[in-house]
Amino acid sequence: MTPTETPAANRLSEARTYRRLLLGVVIGGVALNVVLRYFDYSVLAELTYIGAFVLAFVVWLGTDVRLFDERDVAIEQRASQLALTASALVLVLGASGARLVTALDLYTVPTVVWGALYGYVAVFLTFAGAYLWVRTRR
Amino acid sequence: MRNDLRAHRDREGLSQADLAAAVGVSRQTINSIERERYDPSLELAFKLAARFECRIEDLFHPDFGDA
Repeated sequence: MTPTETPAANRLSEARTYRRLLLGVVIGGVALNVVLRYFDYSVLAELTYIGAFVLAFVVWLGTDVRLFDERDVAIEQRASQLALTASALVLVLGASGARLVTALDLYTVPTVVWGALYGYVAVFLTFAGAYLWVRTRR
Repeated sequence: MRNDLRAHRDREGLSQADLAAAVGVSRQTINSIERERYDPSLELAFKLAARFECRIEDLFHPDFGDA
């Protein structure tokens, strides 16, 4: 390895360490939240949960090392696209099916299902907002 | 997009990790490019070409199909 490549190699190794730390903090926070809730420490559990995400955010923003490269970003974009497509399918078929069985008096759709469908609607409204925001900046 | 990244890397005796460190991406990214599963950004393509002191066209060959 040439001397000019050493700092780059160090940066990659540092980025790997930070990524593991980031993941560890989030997983640790969620695990601790579950354990604390199990023992009825509700407030402490939620503080731990929020604290873990804040800490992860601090790790992410606190380092000048680039933690994710362009392929990571491309994978994330592709995965988001697939997740949205799957969600659209669930929403279109689910909402239509739920309305139809209700209208035909075939089945009373549970409130929790309507709640989930409205959740999907909220996701797509958020997507629409984000899309417009990004579009105005390109 | 087809590419000759591996041939260039082999010629210089570089490992994927060495090349990744030189251009500031992960080893997995170099591996994905070599396997033609990921097309790099223009910025990364320029970095790779600069590392091998060649033109982008010497490294990457777009596949336009029959059109």
